[in-house]
Amino acid sequence: MAICCTTRPRALQWIRSPIRINSGTYVGDSRSDIGTSLAGTHAGQQHLIATLRTVFMGTLFASLAAGCGSNVVLDPPTIPEPLMTTIPMSVGVRMPENFESFIHEEEVLGREQWKIDLGRSNAVFFAQLFGYMFESVTVVSAADDPSIMSFDALIEPSIDEFEFSVPNQTKTDAFAVWIRYRIKVYDRDGKLVVNWPVSAYGKSLTTAMGGSDALQRAAILAMRDAAALVIIKFDEPALISSISGTSESTAAPVEDGGEATAQATTLAGDDDE
Amino acid sequence: MNKLWSSTATCRLILAATVVGLGAGCVTSRVEDAREGITGIESDESVVIMAKSYHLGNETEAKYIACIENALARGSKGLRVIPHKQFVDSLFPWFEPRTAPTETKGLPKLMERPGVAARIREQGVRYIIWLDGDTEKVAGGGSLSCAAGPGGGGCFGFAWWQNDSDYNASVWDLEGLESAGTVTADVSGTSFLPALIVPIPLIARTQAAACKGLANQLRSFIISDELT
Repeated sequence: MAICCTTRPRALQWIRSPIRINSGTYVGDSRSDIGTSLAGTHAGQQHLIATLRTVFMGTLFASLAAGCGSNVVLDPPTIPEPLMTTIPMSVGVRMPENFESFIHEEEVLGREQWKIDLGRSNAVFFAQLFGYMFESVTVVSAADDPSIMSFDALIEPSIDEFEFSVPNQTKTDAFAVWIRYRIKVYDRDGKLVVNWPVSAYGKSLTTAMGGSDALQRAAILAMRDAAALVIIKFDEPALISSISGTSESTAAPVEDGGEATAQATTLAGDDDE
Repeated sequence: MNKLWSSTATCRLILAATVVGLGAGCVTSRVEDAREGITGIESDESVVIMAKSYHLGNETEAKYIACIENALARGSKGLRVIPHKQFVDSLFPWFEPRTAPTETKGLPKLMERPGVAARIREQGVRYIIWLDGDTEKVAGGGSLSCAAGPGGGGCFGFAWWQNDSDYNASVWDLEGLESAGTVTADVSGTSFLPALIVPIPLIARTQAAACKGLANQLRSFIISDELT
């Protein structure tokens, strides 16, 4: 074991010899059995070999470029049916534009280019979640006027921030994803009664399937985490009564677009970091 | 000719014996349990293996959980194991990393939630086993170089590394809503990679040893073999 302690730790090395591509002449001469038939097509051979060389080098450079980052496309996740009592309310859900197509790009440590495409995942995910939670859900578009529809409440989810980390940054084997959603709920009079930040976190260890797979899984776990948080936040009978107006509301209306969150004690948003 | 054959055969035998004998690096393991209550399990009851939440900094590998699940279910004394994903999905969102109870004190409140106790009963889950811990490389050294060219290739050198696999399993009894005890496995091993043209990996499989040791001890702990 003495050798173990005296040798300087060093990473494993591969010393590769340069790759050589045979010239067209060499290939032609070596095939003496078909040399005669090929003689007339020597120029064609050279053209073919030049093309192959270009394709080979292109593939090599593309592979090297791909090694410096990853492109992750997330398929819309599905969540299990929550074990909860359905909330007896009819709600409208207005999805923001970026829920239909959300792409986040990041250069990690100035070297790796990572791109994660959530696509329609958020739209599908929230429609499914609220569909499980409430008795009746109608997805309305940005162009629709919710005031002419008869909902008990209008819910507006959105993304405030999206971040992720890769193993190179954290010096671990884990990929992590943070998504900070915001949930706004308007009562039937159009007053903002809930303004919650929902900070969700997902983490997944690198597997044999590679980093893209782990990042994808971390994003799905973050979305499940958000679903769990939203369910817990709505698991307040007093809150539901306040939103639907079936009891005396303790909430004061909150101006939309401001930094301040809900002013009511029971409805105040709290950060779930 | 016979002599030549004999010496070649002897060389092969020595090489094979060396490879088989040294095929695994050295591993030392310690598995212990600490009992807090009487355990036992009926044939229609099952267990579920869960990883402690990553919100609490835990990094138990998915393949380790799968290994424990398989090891517990195997053999004549195999337990009925509910796959953890099935269990978590069936109780969504109450066993998510953020919402799962961290102490047995949280169990009574959880059981009061609509449908939770019934869903657990349906699956016959008697024990939840919470795994905590991971496998880490704690030391390493040596030097190894490999080269390849048109005429062939090879490696030369020697490298080594030490892995520690520390895992802790907390057993929760859902019948009494209390902790039944803990089982720990602490396995340490050094792997070697000598290379003279061909590298010969002598790997210490600490995680596999920790899986086998912990699963065997957990089975005895739950069946209560130790008390009989």
